[in-house]
Amino acid sequence: MQRVRAKRGPMTPPFVLEYRHVFVLPTSFGWGFGLMLVFMTLGGLNFNNNMTLMLAFLVTTIAQLTTLIAYRNLAGLSIDSIVAEPVFCGDNARFKVFISNADEHHRFAVQTGFSMAQDCTDFKLNACIAMHLSHPTVRRGWLEMPSFRLETRFPLGLFKAWSWVFPQTRCLVYPAPASNAPPLPRTGQGRSGQATRGEGEQVYGLRKYQSGDSMHRVAWRTSARHGELYSLEMETPREEACELDWNSLQGRDIEARLSIMTAWVIAAEHKQLIYSLRLPDEYVPAGSGADQRSKCLELLALFDTETGVFKSASINTQT
Amino acid sequence: MKSFGITTPATPIVNRDGILWVIAALCISMLPQLINMPAVLVPITLMPIAWRLLAEFRGWKPMSMFFRVLATALAVGVLVTTYGGLMGRRAAVSMLALMLSLKLLETFRIRDARIVASLSLFLCSTQFLFSQGIPMIVYIIVCLLSALMALMLLQRREAFARLREAPQTGRDLFAELGFGIRLIALALPIGLAIFLLFPRWGSPLWGVPENALDARSGLSDSMSPGSIQSLFMDDSPAFRVNFEGELPRNGEMYWRGPVFWDFNGQRWQPGYLIRNLPAAGKPELNQAPFRYEVQMEPTEQRWLFALDYPAMVPRGAYLTMDYQLLARRPVTQLRSYTMASDPAYLDTLQLKQTLRRAALELPAGSNPRTAQMMLGWRAEAKNDTEIVRRALDYFNQQEFHYTLNPPLLSQHTADEFLFDTRRGFCEHYASAFTIMMRMAGIPARVVTGYQGGWYSELGNYVLVRQSDAHAWSEVWLDVTGWTRIDPTAAVAPGRIEQGALDSLAQRRHMLDYEWLRNARNTFDLLQRGWNNWAIDFGSETQSRLFTVFGWGIFNSAKLVIAMVAIVFITATAIYLLLPQVMRIRSARRQAPLLQLWNKFVRKLDKAGFVSRPSMGPMELAALAGSQLKYAREGIERIAGLYALCRYSPNKQGQSELEALINNFRPRPASQR
Repeated sequence: MQRVRAKRGPMTPPFVLEYRHVFVLPTSFGWGFGLMLVFMTLGGLNFNNNMTLMLAFLVTTIAQLTTLIAYRNLAGLSIDSIVAEPVFCGDNARFKVFISNADEHHRFAVQTGFSMAQDCTDFKLNACIAMHLSHPTVRRGWLEMPSFRLETRFPLGLFKAWSWVFPQTRCLVYPAPASNAPPLPRTGQGRSGQATRGEGEQVYGLRKYQSGDSMHRVAWRTSARHGELYSLEMETPREEACELDWNSLQGRDIEARLSIMTAWVIAAEHKQLIYSLRLPDEYVPAGSGADQRSKCLELLALFDTETGVFKSASINTQT
Repeated sequence: MKSFGITTPATPIVNRDGILWVIAALCISMLPQLINMPAVLVPITLMPIAWRLLAEFRGWKPMSMFFRVLATALAVGVLVTTYGGLMGRRAAVSMLALMLSLKLLETFRIRDARIVASLSLFLCSTQFLFSQGIPMIVYIIVCLLSALMALMLLQRREAFARLREAPQTGRDLFAELGFGIRLIALALPIGLAIFLLFPRWGSPLWGVPENALDARSGLSDSMSPGSIQSLFMDDSPAFRVNFEGELPRNGEMYWRGPVFWDFNGQRWQPGYLIRNLPAAGKPELNQAPFRYEVQMEPTEQRWLFALDYPAMVPRGAYLTMDYQLLARRPVTQLRSYTMASDPAYLDTLQLKQTLRRAALELPAGSNPRTAQMMLGWRAEAKNDTEIVRRALDYFNQQEFHYTLNPPLLSQHTADEFLFDTRRGFCEHYASAFTIMMRMAGIPARVVTGYQGGWYSELGNYVLVRQSDAHAWSEVWLDVTGWTRIDPTAAVAPGRIEQGALDSLAQRRHMLDYEWLRNARNTFDLLQRGWNNWAIDFGSETQSRLFTVFGWGIFNSAKLVIAMVAIVFITATAIYLLLPQVMRIRSARRQAPLLQLWNKFVRKLDKAGFVSRPSMGPMELAALAGSQLKYAREGIERIAGLYALCRYSPNKQGQSELEALINNFRPRPASQR
């Protein structure tokens, strides 16, 4: 395996399965079938029975032809790209392998899998098909996609042709969300929270008057006291905001803290709260939405236990 | 990680298409066996199949182990008692068929279904032990096709078993059938080449069972009234003869078979002592006027047929004292031998006393009326020849009939035949005549064999059918030794000159028309060709073939060398040449458009641009254009046109693109 991998070098898509990538061997059924053919031939030879011999040779030739057909069914497939969406630890990582058939013939029953067959498909002419592979996750961080096989036993199941693919794809694995996380810390309010300043119903504070401020907003009493014009700054009392703070979880081990914070991020996002994330060396300013969520979760996923800092975090899910 | 093999956890449950094709394959390959097995066994063999079909359509669960074992034990018990053991090919093959059928009871998974489909091919191969006729070609193809269909569908089912949805782009039935037929057609020439070149064994490694045929066909080793008559209904070929040069007249073609000496009042039997005595002499080979090659259908008997008197003895055979050609082993498969005959040879001019006694012996007290008449003739006759002539005249002038439906004879067969019924077939005449001669004191014996034959002008050979079976008589006279006398000829001369079928006024059965017989005779030409080229092909024919190629005759040492050489050459061819072929193919596999584009990219790379395989045409054009500014216009035009050709059905742009790419020379203005 390792030799094959080393010989082939890094895989750069599109990766086309060529002659040297495809191996063909009999299946266990194929071996049994071969044994039957041997007996048939021996019988034919012994009894000098030419029709038995003819049948035996015909079937042998057909069996041999299926090696070529199996090879042809696999060779020439092109692996265009492999994509994996991040998952939470404990869930299966799902890899989408985009495979296309540029050849002038159909392909049938092409299977794929790591050690077990997981997906199977036919290819029409010029078809591009996403095949799905899933792999269990046990640790947060980057999951390097293991090498997987493309295999076919078309047409009779006597021979299997297969090809190893050594992808350079990795899947980001977020920490598993803690199941009994403490409630969301609703500490963040106002500025640290996400209430939008400007027009609003609630007074946020005072600031020096700037030309253009509405006359209604001028805090006349304060202005009179200080001899300067001050205007009220307003905010919209929209929702609560929260700050997810690493330090608020002291006394637990690191993975547990990461799990809890993951659960918080999910909960905050679910409640459409505005949240910020504070980790020992990192701070994600308040925000919400898919970007905020993935930014936070990625930081949590890649938190380096040894140094307490984060690995370089650039999500590259495409090889 | 395992080094190979995507494992499938447990073989999946078989699908309906798959199991139906498996059953079809099994039934088709079983068909000739079903026709030839005892009628009791047919329903027993078919029952498990019926159960499995019902289980499929009614959704029955697999039978419990107990019932399966019980059913198997019962069925095998019936089979063994029916055949009286498992000896013999028919019994063994019936057993195989039954076991395969019983296997269906537990065939619910793909693994078992595959085993049944494969073994049905094996069952098919065993059927050629019984028949290798031309219709079996159709059988072989249909068997193969149905087994291939079953295996294909099972494979497909196995591959897609883990998916919830049925695959969308699977092929329909006709496409699958077409694929199977293509597969067979592709394999046929290669299989044929292997067939011709694969070294054969001169002699079998293990014993060939002697009871290969279902019913013994042809002449039997005894003769009683009616035994040849039954052959008369049988139109199957007995043997075919290729004459080299002169052809004997039809009336002279007496093909000698079993000779009978002992008569017990009902039945003629060979003299067992005599059978083991070798012939005293045989005709000179260079004086034999008829030279021919006989190709005999299997009979499971040891007789080889030849015209009187054989001047040579084929390998593995010997000549008995009464000039029967006997093979040392029963003829269980098509057998060819060259022969020469000299009809003028004088057989046994000096008859020994023991033999004379054997040729005169009759059961005491049988046929008193005949004995009475013969005593009278003996007294009146001057010599033996006169008695013979008188007997023939007697048959000729009295009201004797040559008929297919003679009345039954009881105790004194000769008496009843000669004086009461007077209707008979050749064996009645031969038997009665021989008895008459013996009673008159002339040594006589009965000879059975075939008489005449149908000459095929097209194929230049003589076809002798079972219906040409005949019985005649031989008497020993001082001057000529054993002399052939055919009493049937005295009654129905047409039988000898034209053949038995034409000499009868009545039809043998409903379909017995002359034109049909002629059509059958013509069809025999095909069968003969098949026999010569396919069935009779063996180590000798193969050696001859190799000689044509200039490889000389193969002995066993050369054979081993040839085998090793064939394996070695084939392996080398596959492992050295195939990669080359495949590489060429994979290079050619790229569509011409893509080849053009790659040529363009290579040109860009040469000009200093570094392309990556992941770049699409537009991305590449933009980057290359910004790097190689001097060629920007050209690059963009080419990329645009390429994208148009590639992604729209427009095929016209390709030639223009080709011209553009061929003329594309990215070089800075300063170097131009």
